[in-house]
Amino acid sequence: MRTGVSEKTQPTAVSVDAEADLPVQLLSPTGIRVESVEYDSWVEDLSDEDLLAIYEDMVVVRRFDNEATALQRQGQLGLWPPSLGQEAAQIGSARALRTDDFVFTSYREHGVAYVRGVKLEDMTRVWRGTANSGWDPFTVNMATPAVIIGAQTLHATGYAMGVQRDGADSVAVAYFGDGATSQGDVNEAMIFAASFKAPVIFFCQNNQWAISEPVGVQTIRPIADRAPGFNIPSIRVDGNDVLAVMAAMRVALERARAGSGATFLEAVTYRMGPHTTSDDPSRYEDLAEREEWAAKDPIKRFEAYLESLGLLTDSVRASVKAAEDDAAKRFRAACIALEDPAPLTIFDHVYAEPHSGLERQKREFAAYLSYIEGGTR
Amino acid sequence: MTELTLAKAIGAGLRRALQDDDHVLLMGEDIGELGGVFRVTDGLKHEFGPLRVVDTPLAESGIVGTAIGLAFRGYRAVCEIQFDGFIYPAFDQIVAQVAKLHARTNGAVNIPITLRVPYGGAIGSVEHHSESPEAYFAHTAGLRVVTPSNPQDAYSMLRQAIASNDPVIYFEPKRRYWTKGEVDLEAEPMPLDKARVVREGTDVTLIAYGPLVATAVDAAEAAADEDISIEVIDLRSLAPIDFDTVEDSVNKTGRVVIVHEAAEFGGLGGEIAAVITDRCFYSLEAPPQRVTGLNVPYPPAKLEDHFVPDLDRMLDAVDRVMGRENSLTGWSAR
Amino acid sequence: MSTDFAMPDLGEGLTESELVAWHVTVGELVELNQPIAEVETAKAIVQLPSPFAGTISALYVEPGTTVSVGARIVAFDLTDEADAPVERNSVLVGYGPTVETDNRPRRRARGAKAAAEPQPRVEPVETVEPVETVGTEPAPQASGPVRTTPPVRKLARDLGVDLGTVTPTGDDGLVTRADVQAAASGSAPSPSQTPTVAPSRALSGSYSPPAIARTAEESKAARGTRPRERRSPIKGVRRATAEAMVRSITGTPQATVFVTIDVTSTVDLVQQLRQRTGQKVNVLAMTAKAVCLALADHPTLNSKWDDEHQEIVEFGYVNLGIAVATPRGLMVPNIPDADLLSLSEMTDAIASLAETARSGATTPKALTGGTISITNIGVFGVESGTPILNPGEAAILALGVARRQPWEYRGEIALRDVLTLSLTFDHRLVDGEQGAKFLVDVGAILANPGIALTFV
Repeated sequence: MRTGVSEKTQPTAVSVDAEADLPVQLLSPTGIRVESVEYDSWVEDLSDEDLLAIYEDMVVVRRFDNEATALQRQGQLGLWPPSLGQEAAQIGSARALRTDDFVFTSYREHGVAYVRGVKLEDMTRVWRGTANSGWDPFTVNMATPAVIIGAQTLHATGYAMGVQRDGADSVAVAYFGDGATSQGDVNEAMIFAASFKAPVIFFCQNNQWAISEPVGVQTIRPIADRAPGFNIPSIRVDGNDVLAVMAAMRVALERARAGSGATFLEAVTYRMGPHTTSDDPSRYEDLAEREEWAAKDPIKRFEAYLESLGLLTDSVRASVKAAEDDAAKRFRAACIALEDPAPLTIFDHVYAEPHSGLERQKREFAAYLSYIEGGTR
Repeated sequence: MTELTLAKAIGAGLRRALQDDDHVLLMGEDIGELGGVFRVTDGLKHEFGPLRVVDTPLAESGIVGTAIGLAFRGYRAVCEIQFDGFIYPAFDQIVAQVAKLHARTNGAVNIPITLRVPYGGAIGSVEHHSESPEAYFAHTAGLRVVTPSNPQDAYSMLRQAIASNDPVIYFEPKRRYWTKGEVDLEAEPMPLDKARVVREGTDVTLIAYGPLVATAVDAAEAAADEDISIEVIDLRSLAPIDFDTVEDSVNKTGRVVIVHEAAEFGGLGGEIAAVITDRCFYSLEAPPQRVTGLNVPYPPAKLEDHFVPDLDRMLDAVDRVMGRENSLTGWSAR
Repeated sequence: MSTDFAMPDLGEGLTESELVAWHVTVGELVELNQPIAEVETAKAIVQLPSPFAGTISALYVEPGTTVSVGARIVAFDLTDEADAPVERNSVLVGYGPTVETDNRPRRRARGAKAAAEPQPRVEPVETVEPVETVGTEPAPQASGPVRTTPPVRKLARDLGVDLGTVTPTGDDGLVTRADVQAAASGSAPSPSQTPTVAPSRALSGSYSPPAIARTAEESKAARGTRPRERRSPIKGVRRATAEAMVRSITGTPQATVFVTIDVTSTVDLVQQLRQRTGQKVNVLAMTAKAVCLALADHPTLNSKWDDEHQEIVEFGYVNLGIAVATPRGLMVPNIPDADLLSLSEMTDAIASLAETARSGATTPKALTGGTISITNIGVFGVESGTPILNPGEAAILALGVARRQPWEYRGEIALRDVLTLSLTFDHRLVDGEQGAKFLVDVGAILANPGIALTFV
């Protein structure tokens, strides 16, 4: 773990320290367990059942994500941002959280939402366009996704400041991407978090792409290197290694709960699909790079590890297959069954208190709808 | 003449500007290899190179702020804000810096920046992708605000905006990006701040701009079936507004309906109605009416048909100014 | 069952896409989400996953074709019929921009009072029914500025018309352009135009009542040079009216009956009809219609005492006389075959008859041959009267002013529009019972216009 202002501040240092930039890894891309003195202890409590549950989560989330992409192609969703390839970063980090921790995410964290307990069809409400919001944040302690890049990092920091004042040991987590690190908001969030020693974790999934722009447009050095400049320690972790992600997250959570403040995690992963279903990666992607990352697939890697442990028996495979089939089928039906909202709900929840101007407009609009053919549908 | 979509016409305008002035450069997110999320800048990076077509870091304030610095150095940056709802991180640079620098420097510094902003709804998308923020900018002294409604204007007005020594916010009606039309690449454009009467009529003046011009023309067509003659004005420029053209029309018709997608409260319709009431008071047969987006956040896709003004809502307002039966007939709460 | 699938909007408002290639052929069995086609949009090349499990039964478009969003592209025979899309098309489901078509733009139907939403409309709080202004007297203005539009104000100013004296005929007391023009042309003289005529108290907002302290001397001075009496010959309409009235009152035993009724329903109906049709339907026209309907059950009221032939003539038609106060005096032109007219036609007929009478263009023919008459004395603000028969007719109905007043309504006291009808009849032809029953029937229709249905 890097802490504070490090030796990397020599004025002549312009090149990247290659060794220091190697992300923390507990599983090699082929699923071989790599020993780590620093991190092994953080995952040694995981039982076989725990490992299989993590595996099933990753498989189900990928299946769900593929199903959502298909539903968009079939006209059932307006848009969909796939999380394909980022399952380890999301499941590994989310499974390290306590129920009373609170999560603020971007719009690609379907795996995080799944672990927090969000129903699959609820994740698609905004993309189907039937609702402003898919769920009540307080039922799962996870805010609904922020579409404006990086805005949620400040919200997480503020939430953590509230936790501080309450004397609680809960932690706030901000999930964001590599592109977001260019936004002023993200940098301001780190400044606030450092100044107030807030119990917040900045969890950056560096999936190498901000739509069509490679991460090199946002930063030359590893993103994790930025945080120490704000006096926030950072860990660069292999984002396709679910064990390493979970270990790093546990380290960060422990620091926060102990009152030591924020940690910045860079989970190095890869966006294996398009930015959204509207995107066309064939215009910009590097095929060699894509193949290289396909070999580092987070699910295949974990599968190989489980096999090496002899955990993937036929019956386990069958039960996981049944779980993903069932989830996909139920999700598809529930998504298609999401009803269009009634027209006048357009005026709901704009204000928490009565608002004369809006009420008047609502009455006029209701009069119009009842007057025009088909208006109330 | 060549047939182009509105998006391709903007691309042609950018290409021409890059060719004509080597101090013009394009900045934005994903405008290079991808050609922009709407493919407006398709191919330009390969044609003009990465120093002139710049894929910027993901930071809108950074894009606009550095464009100001480039202006100090004599460059004309054309910045793309990817979606309307993404412009707010740059709001400070736009209203506190771009708009005011010429005045702040006693006219010594020009800020000839063009900000291209795809705007408006009805595309079935998600939050922040369908907004109409034009009033914020039209309200800000020092900014010019324009919006084309058709491919020819898209091409010509963009070239004029880039050539202007003032900062111009150029709002692109994204739901009309795929509308096709004949474009004369050599046409002599009309002045940038002039409105155009796109359809003549005698009973009601229907004032629209950007994405709703096509809807307004449809409404006029449908109203003709009921012997109502509607004159449709495409404002084109939202700051300044060509009130002379508006005044001539309203003095002729005596009735006016103003339409825009932006919310009613504090929207441009209120400003237009105020000026009309002032300048055409003794010609008005009925109070000016507005048909606008509702005073709510842009709704989820399945509700947007209720938010975005359509032909029927426009003609309901036409019925109101004509004294015909309408949805508010008998409405005592007025 | 074969199920069509249409080109979806593949991203943020695209209107069309090119079908690059099919990955399937007709007759091929496909799984859910199996890629069936490659589609290129303005933004991306994407694989189109099959929305159903089943057999491809038709491919509607050739590779290389540009397809509008919403156009069908493929059909399936479904493996599991339960997969069939329920009620909605599998495409769009409300997404995407309106696909631009070459169809002529059309409006949706309007005026439907859909019950699905809570009815937001508030019934008009108060409708002081502007009873047909047969006379030329301007109605008193409500306090506050005159309601009119800027161009009409300008017109009034240009023509020197005081808007405060103009009778409004527009909705909610709006003075229209026509009202001002009428005032200017003298059919409704305004004080500013004819300053020699002192404005009556009722007409002028600027009228100042005489000071109480005014002395007889001052009053005399104020009277000015006006002659103490003015003599004019009896002639024209005045003479004709006088002769008719004498003939009527001396030659016919006349009796009058009264009924006072709650006409709120009629007033509301009039309001609704005006909004719906834009036509100036009014209570007078409703009454005329009611009279025609009721006469069907009371033919004796529509008859004539023929002294010369010693016969009673019962008319199989209704020539309905309408008393009109004109600048030249009272006239009672009639609407021939009024019983054949719809309410709308009746409204127009009355308006045109009154207009013609006021402009002095009524033909002698229109003044003869009436079978029954109505006089709208309510426009002068009175509640009731005892009209005198038009000679040769068996009955005349007088319509009083409809006033908002406390009235029993559903067991409670409520403010209702209440009006008195008075019917004078020829007692030779009509007994008290017949006259009363007829009047009650007319009143019943006005009290509850729905009753009219029972007369059809």
